Amino acid sequence: MRHIPEDELHAYLDQGLSRSQCVEIESHLAECSSCRATRDGIAALRDRTTALLARLAPPRRFPSAFETLRGLAAQRVDTRRRRLRAMAWVASLVAALGLGWTASTMVGPGRTSVALNDPPAAAEAARIVASADSVAADTAPVDSATARPAQPAAARAPDPAPAPTPVRSRVRRVPAPARNVAFEAAAREDSIRAAKLAILDPAPAVELEPLEGPQPAGGEQFAGMWRTMSWDGAQSEAGQSLPRIDGLPVLRVQVQANDRGNRPLMVVAQQLASGQVIQTIEGPARDVSELLSRRTATSPDGALSVTISDPAPAADQAMAMQMGDRMLAITGALPSDSLRAMIRRINAEMRSK
Amino acid sequence: MSDDLEKLYQSTYTAVVRFLYRKVWDAERAEDLAQEVFVRALAHRPDKPRAWVFAVAANLARDEARAAVRRKRHLTLLKGDPISQPTVSPSADDSVEHDEQMASVQEALSTLTARDREILLLWDAGLSYPEIAGQTGLAVGAVGTTLARARRRLVDAHDRQQKPTRDNAAHS
Repeated sequence: MRHIPEDELHAYLDQGLSRSQCVEIESHLAECSSCRATRDGIAALRDRTTALLARLAPPRRFPSAFETLRGLAAQRVDTRRRRLRAMAWVASLVAALGLGWTASTMVGPGRTSVALNDPPAAAEAARIVASADSVAADTAPVDSATARPAQPAAARAPDPAPAPTPVRSRVRRVPAPARNVAFEAAAREDSIRAAKLAILDPAPAVELEPLEGPQPAGGEQFAGMWRTMSWDGAQSEAGQSLPRIDGLPVLRVQVQANDRGNRPLMVVAQQLASGQVIQTIEGPARDVSELLSRRTATSPDGALSVTISDPAPAADQAMAMQMGDRMLAITGALPSDSLRAMIRRINAEMRSK
Repeated sequence: MSDDLEKLYQSTYTAVVRFLYRKVWDAERAEDLAQEVFVRALAHRPDKPRAWVFAVAANLARDEARAAVRRKRHLTLLKGDPISQPTVSPSADDSVEHDEQMASVQEALSTLTARDREILLLWDAGLSYPEIAGQTGLAVGAVGTTLARARRRLVDAHDRQQKPTRDNAAHS
C-alpha cells in the first residue's frame, strides 16, 4: 500500500487539496496508522511554525479608519486626473501647432511646393492627441468606480477614425498618395478642434511667452502708437475680420489706432509648430507699406514681396497684397511660396466676411 | 464594491501589517506600507482584492528592501568601510525576552531561501494555495511541497540555535 507523501499531508492539512483528493487521503488515513502518525507529526510541525512566526509580529495598533484611506485615495485619483488633464492639454497644443504648420503649408489654389512641408507632423500630432485621450480615458473609470465596476477603457476611447469629412473645401486639394486619408482627416479635425481651444481658452494663452520675433512689429519706430491687446479686445474693436491664420495660437495682437476713422492697422502674431512667429498685418495701405518700407522690395507677379534688409538672422520674408486702400501683409521666416499661399487664403476669408 | 474593500481592510489589515513587518522589520514602516497598499486598492479596484493586496505588499516590501540596501551601501561607502551585507535588526520592544525570542525566529527565518520564506509568509498571512500559486508563479501542487520544506527548515534552524544550551544540560 502506498503511503501518503509528506507534502500531500501538508496540503491536506492546509486545505489545499480538491474534494476528491481529500476523500482519497481520508480513506487511507482510516486504515493506515503509520500515515496517521505522520499526519500528527506534520500537524505539530505546522502548529510550531505558526507559533514561531507569531512571535514575529509588530506591536498591535489600531488601524486608521477606512474613511481616512478613502479620502487619501480620492485625493490621489484627483491629483492624477488633474495631472493627466494638464498633459492632455499640452499634447493638444502641440498637436494644434503641428497642424497649423502643416495646414499653413497646404493652403492656396496653386498648391505651390513648399520646402518646409512636413507631412508626418499631422500624423504625429494626432498620435499624441490620441494617446493623451486614451490615457485620460484609462483613468476616467477610476473616479466613477466608487459606485460601479470600471468600464473598459476602450468603450470610452474616442472613435479612432471619424468619417473623412473635409474641414474646409481646400483640404480636398491636399494630395495624399500612399497615406491614410481618413486618418489624416481625423488628425486634422482633432488638431483644429484643439487649436480653436487653444485660441479661445484665455488661460493657456497667458502661458505662451510672446516670442520676440526677428522683426519686432511694435518696435521703437512705432513706440507710443501701438497698443497690445487681448484677442477678445481686438475682436470687439475690429470685428470678425482680424487678419490671422486659422488654427494657429495667437501670441499677440497689436493695434495702431488712426485718426482717419477707418479700421485700425493690426498686427497679429501667431506661432508655428517650429516656434517661429508669423505676423499678419492688415490696415490702410499707406500704413502697411510704411511698416514694410524699411525693406527692399521686389514685386513678382503683382504681389509685393519684400526681403528684410536688417541683420535679422532668419531669412524673414514678407508678402503683401493690396485691396483698394487697404493692404494685407504677412511676414515670417517662411518660403515666399508659403507666405503667398497664406495671404491668399487670409484674403479670401476676410472678403467672405 | 466599496464595502467589499472595507471588509477586506478590517479582516486582513493586521495580516498585511504582519506580513510587511516580517520583511521590513520596522513596525511603523510596515503600517505605513499597509496603509499605502489599501489606498492603492481603493484607487485601483482590483478584481481579486485579497491576492492583489498581498502582491502589492510584497512589491512594496521588495522596493523598500532595495532602497535600504542602497542607503546602507551609500553610507558604508561614505565611511570608507568595506561593503557589508545589510543585517536586520529587530526594533526595540519593551521586553528583553520578547526581543530574544523574536531574534531567534528571525534568524531561523533568514536561513530559508527567499522563495521558501516568501511562500511561508504568504501562507501565514492567510493566503490559500491557489492564491499563493497565483502570486509566486508556482504550480498549486508545488505549494505544499515548498511549505513542507520551509516549515521543516524553520523549525530545525530554530531548534539548532537552542540546542547548545540544552545539550549541555542533557549530557551532564
